[in-house]
Amino acid sequence: MAVLTLGILCCHYTNTAGEEDFKGLPAEIIMKRYPCSGHIEVADILRTFEEGAEAVLVAGCEKEACHNLSGSVRAEKKVLGARKIIEELGLEGERVKMVFLPRLDSGAFMTETKAFLEKILNLKSKEKGV
Amino acid sequence: MIIAERRPIPEIAKVLEPYQRVLVLGCRGCVAICSAGGDREVETMAAALRLARKLEGKPLETGEATLIRQCDPEYLAPLKELAQDYEAVLSLACGVGVNLIADLYPQIRVYPGVDTTFYGANPALGEWQEKCRGCGDCILDVTAGLCPIARCAKNLLNGPCGGSQKGRCEIRPEVPCVWHQIYERLSARGELDRLLAFFPAKDWRPAGHGGPRERVRDDLRLG
Repeated sequence: MAVLTLGILCCHYTNTAGEEDFKGLPAEIIMKRYPCSGHIEVADILRTFEEGAEAVLVAGCEKEACHNLSGSVRAEKKVLGARKIIEELGLEGERVKMVFLPRLDSGAFMTETKAFLEKILNLKSKEKGV
Repeated sequence: MIIAERRPIPEIAKVLEPYQRVLVLGCRGCVAICSAGGDREVETMAAALRLARKLEGKPLETGEATLIRQCDPEYLAPLKELAQDYEAVLSLACGVGVNLIADLYPQIRVYPGVDTTFYGANPALGEWQEKCRGCGDCILDVTAGLCPIARCAKNLLNGPCGGSQKGRCEIRPEVPCVWHQIYERLSARGELDRLLAFFPAKDWRPAGHGGPRERVRDDLRLG
């Protein structure tokens, strides 16, 4: 049963995870894939929140392995920009996170997704005082 | 170029609180170059405002547009039609754009989305530095091209103050003392005698102390 909505913005090369992989997670996933994580803008992250995500994970290639040289480094800066804005809006900055992943390794991607999901679930529990 | 900086979202959201439909209007001039008010910033601002309002449970509808410039009536002309469906316009142009919209379209409620900060250069990506204060009475010919009005915290006109240390400003030590730089540069050129010349007290009226400034070129006017 989905207890929260998680946005995932990633480049095509970090993973091939699909619906099956997310099946067991207690979250509804909003998945957006981009040709390169460097193409992800601050507005894309904010729009994902607007669409209902309670947290957004941005996944790009490992810094030295980006297909487009510096795409994931650019994405990391956009994540910082989005974090600044959501903090201004009164949301916790931790709700948006950048991860650098090996290319086409869905295992590493799912590990990060689960860890982030757990972190946000803890954050929600604290908010509720559980 | 004119440098500007995005205003905090909660401040803007508060100003726009009474409205349900707002047009976020960018400018492709200076504010686009300094990444404060171009197409990308329009997208970000609109998304941030919608999210802010969604969190408050009072949805906001936004329109997004960017004009070539907001400081020329001819480029502002499409605004009359663009703004028709909106209750207010949030301009991401510098204060010049906001003022010109207010002058030309009194019926449009226009609000500033950025703070206009200074005239600056872009020495490196993501960095802007003030170089000119627009004082209207240039003295760069005497000071080796380095402006003590814009680049000295005390706007001194007669050399460094007593507080500068080892060529750094006492107000912000990370900033070089511009008078130290002026001296070093003129000294290297063998032109220190430029600093010995007497000149009358600076006329501050062209700096805006005599009210809003205007410039008219009859040869360029129509008719």
